[in-house]
Amino acid sequence: MTHIKYFVLASRQGKIRLTKWYYSYAASEKEKILKDLTPLVLSRKAKMCNIVEYSDHKVVYRRYASLYFICGITPEYDNELLTLELIHRYVETMDSYFGNVCELDIIFNFSRAYEILNEMIMCDGSIAESGKAEVLQQVKTMDTMESNDNLDRVLS
Amino acid sequence: MTSLYAPTGDDVKQRLRPFGIFFEKSLKDLIKGIRSNNETPEKLQHFLAQALSECREEANSPDLNLKTNAVLKLTYLEMYGFDMSWANFHILEVMSSSKLQQKRVGYLAASQSFYKDSDILMLATNLMKKDLKYGGNNDVVKVGIALSGLSTIVTPSLAADICDDLFGMLSSSKPYIRKKAVTALFKVFLQYPEALRDNFDKFAARLEDDDTSVLSAMVSVICELSKKNPQPFIKLSPMLYEILVTISNNWIIIRLLKLFTNLSKVEPKLRPRLLPKILELMDTTVATSVLYESINCIVKGNMLEEDDFDTAVRCLECLQTFCDSSDPNLRYISCVLFYKIGKINIAFISQFDKLVLRLLNDVDVSIRSKALELVVGIVSEENLKSIVLALLKQFVDEDTIVLQSGEPNFEVANEIPIIISEPYKIKMVNTIIHICSMDNFSMLTDFEWYNTVLLDLIMLSQDISEPSLGCKIGEQLRNSMVKVPSMREDTLSTIIKILSTDSVYTQIAGVLKECFWSIGEYSSQVDNGDDLIQSILAKKHHFAAEIQQVVIIALLKIFTNWSNGHSDLDLTRLKFIMEELLNYFQSLSYSKDFEVQERAVESSEILKLSSEALQEDGDGLPLLISEVMPSLFNSYELKPLSHGVQMQLQQNVTVDCDTPFLSTEELTEILEKNTSSETGAFTEDSLESDDGKFAYNEEEADDSSSGEKQPTEDWELSKEEREVLEKRKEEERQSNPFYLAREETTSKSINGDLLDFSENGDDTEQSSNTIRLSKQQIISPSVGEKAKKEKKIKKKPKRRVEVLPDEVVATTQDVSNNKPSNIRVTPSSQSVSSLAPSNKKISLKTHTMLENFDFSKPKDALDESNEDIGSGAQDEQDELERIRSKFANQGLVEIQPGEEDEEVVIVKKKKKSSKKKNKKTSKTSSKTQEEKEDARQLA
Repeated sequence: MTHIKYFVLASRQGKIRLTKWYYSYAASEKEKILKDLTPLVLSRKAKMCNIVEYSDHKVVYRRYASLYFICGITPEYDNELLTLELIHRYVETMDSYFGNVCELDIIFNFSRAYEILNEMIMCDGSIAESGKAEVLQQVKTMDTMESNDNLDRVLS
Repeated sequence: MTSLYAPTGDDVKQRLRPFGIFFEKSLKDLIKGIRSNNETPEKLQHFLAQALSECREEANSPDLNLKTNAVLKLTYLEMYGFDMSWANFHILEVMSSSKLQQKRVGYLAASQSFYKDSDILMLATNLMKKDLKYGGNNDVVKVGIALSGLSTIVTPSLAADICDDLFGMLSSSKPYIRKKAVTALFKVFLQYPEALRDNFDKFAARLEDDDTSVLSAMVSVICELSKKNPQPFIKLSPMLYEILVTISNNWIIIRLLKLFTNLSKVEPKLRPRLLPKILELMDTTVATSVLYESINCIVKGNMLEEDDFDTAVRCLECLQTFCDSSDPNLRYISCVLFYKIGKINIAFISQFDKLVLRLLNDVDVSIRSKALELVVGIVSEENLKSIVLALLKQFVDEDTIVLQSGEPNFEVANEIPIIISEPYKIKMVNTIIHICSMDNFSMLTDFEWYNTVLLDLIMLSQDISEPSLGCKIGEQLRNSMVKVPSMREDTLSTIIKILSTDSVYTQIAGVLKECFWSIGEYSSQVDNGDDLIQSILAKKHHFAAEIQQVVIIALLKIFTNWSNGHSDLDLTRLKFIMEELLNYFQSLSYSKDFEVQERAVESSEILKLSSEALQEDGDGLPLLISEVMPSLFNSYELKPLSHGVQMQLQQNVTVDCDTPFLSTEELTEILEKNTSSETGAFTEDSLESDDGKFAYNEEEADDSSSGEKQPTEDWELSKEEREVLEKRKEEERQSNPFYLAREETTSKSINGDLLDFSENGDDTEQSSNTIRLSKQQIISPSVGEKAKKEKKIKKKPKRRVEVLPDEVVATTQDVSNNKPSNIRVTPSSQSVSSLAPSNKKISLKTHTMLENFDFSKPKDALDESNEDIGSGAQDEQDELERIRSKFANQGLVEIQPGEEDEEVVIVKKKKKSSKKKNKKTSKTSSKTQEEKEDARQLA
């Protein structure tokens, strides 16, 4: 019943950079989806639409530089345009967080990338927070708290 | 790693760590390592395995920093497909750390990896309870982390336990906490719907929250909940409507529209109120996604009535502008919506034929594919040909996408060929067939054209590896053969063309079965059946068993029609053909396929008898060939039957095995006659013919068509005047038009139109000539034939080809019995289809308690179940203690890593099963027993 089924980041070489599952797939299913998705999405040409049908659901993807942001959605419930918008919002948020985000930022700081995603998409894949500033502020507060926390410890 | 004898060095390391100085292999090293070991898969695999074993070691270390680091690395490795569930206990430990940094890593890892591991969830429950109540100075963040974690991991007992805390948080002064509490409550409600029932007003009050992000979360959560159970939220509609009217945030508007879609499905009263507002919204908004969602809401929320053309046109016009946009996504989604609107009433979309045709040529194949689904809605008698032509062209044409770059005048046309995928081709073929044959060929006026289309399809779909296509095309050929009597010759010549194309046999064999059946059944229209037989036999090595079944009978039919269709039959030729057939049948009589074997043996026996009779009977055809064999095949005119009719008839048939075919007098009479004229072989054959008669008489009452009487008359003649039969038959053949073409009988029986009849007669002769020619040289004569045909069409251009309707059996008896059985078929298949997804749901989704929850039940009625939950919690508490003690042991006792893991796995399995039992029985006594056993095993 979830709405976004998964969120996957893949590079142009087909490397998986981030996976987030909002639907309880078995490990083998996950593996299969990841294996199928990349060629499916990579084979799409420019000028083609960003929505592909894959098995029982739809896949919405968007390309930013060398990265493909891929979302599996339930077609009955989901708004494809909104999903595209959401992907864009996510990228924008990461862009402001990292400052001109690039693939390497996401690879080395994958835990932050996950956290931003978790702030945006909650409740098994239903979107809860759409405000960019809100998300950013939250992640940044956590970062400062974390370093303060560490500092306190070291000083003590 | 860390030794007890070097505490100072360790302390230093630990102090430096927060500043990013690590001495162990950090995440960065891991990532860099993966990148530098990328050359070969083996090397990478080796590196990853090594990294993984390092992680295992580090995770086992008592140093929490090391452990955190390991968990973080494992979270990263999980993306490479490594299972990290073995580390769940370590993750839990990291989660419980008092350091924010470590807690964060722990919760992240938990949300990635805790899914179905109920043990770990139980331990996490307590931890989370503690975290939620944490009151230190970082509490906002900490509680926030815990709440985020909670929204991914929640169990029924945890839900029941913490819902009061969460409701308390709803009135927190910090919007962030309120928001997180709302999202966490979503998961709680799913597991523990009672919480929603008892605190509904308190929860709903949050809709008036002045913080947008809280409101957004509220709307999202209600939207998600209403998907599962919309009833309780209907009373919130006025409030939600108020928000929809006042708010300007597009994200929330879209969520609200979705929410109203869910509500409107169950509450039709919402429609008059909502529809004007949504239409107004469509006028005012600039955001396409809002526009799209508005239409979506109207369509999916059952707000578009079947006769509401105004609203439909309003939506469709909007979609049309989407379709004309340069954004492929807009074109795609509007195609999908078009389809949904067309499903409500197909008349809505029928005027958009030009648009659909344009979409069919879109650069994006997936848009084309969506447009294909629309074709059914816009097809009409007038545009059928142009649509099919457009589709056929796509098979042949190499379309390209032109990527424009530079100035319009000097543009560098960068052309990318559009790859037309196989599924799309299959879809195209199916669509073509579907729109042409729709409603018993109601859209089709020109069957000659249709035959050429089918021929083209066969040629085009040869490189598609979808076996069902051939069958479908074959069925179409057969259907037009059976249903359109006036076009039989043309269809037959198409089939002969198909059968004389070699590649058909290897590439698209599915079409053969129906082709052979048709050619056999209507072989009376073929003049030179002997050549046809030979040409079929020449291809015999290509036939699969299921085709052989059909071919055997078809050959026999052709043979019968040919041998009886000529007055000047060359007997040596006849013998030669019989010999050929006999060889073929005998070669098949040892087939592995039972059906083939039976048919082959059967046919070869008939042929053997016939050839023996032929040997003895020097001149003319033996009775076996002239009478018996035709009576096997030509007794009835085959008519199209509607689906399931045969089943109905079969129910009525009672097989009488007791009554002999012939009475004793009849038998002796025949035997006497036999001995007077011919020998043994004849007895069999008269028995055969009697068989035929028997079958015929039984069903004669049902049929009234004049054509069918014919064989019986013949038969009766033969019975009475056997001696003069040979001569009579010669005469008859010349005088009786039925012998020229059986088709005439049909057309006569159907419309009784004399003019038509004679014209057809002419045509038949021509066509049988053509077929004779066309078999040797396929193409050239058929061109001339076409020219003639065209003339014919010009003569009467508006004549509509008659298509036979499906026969429906109107047997007076057992109608009441049959009807229900027919109906029974449909719902059962429906129920199967509706069952399948729900089954799937059960297996994949564990928690959907809300779905069936009855909100009308009063609170105290559920006391019992609450008690249950309470005792369950007690059980879990015990279980928890046990796992905790085990966990503690595991941390202290240093066993070799590999062994330890294995043991953990084993124990886990044990526990799972035991716990399940506990839940079911809730008997503490048996439980403690098992616990003891487990403990013993641990020791």
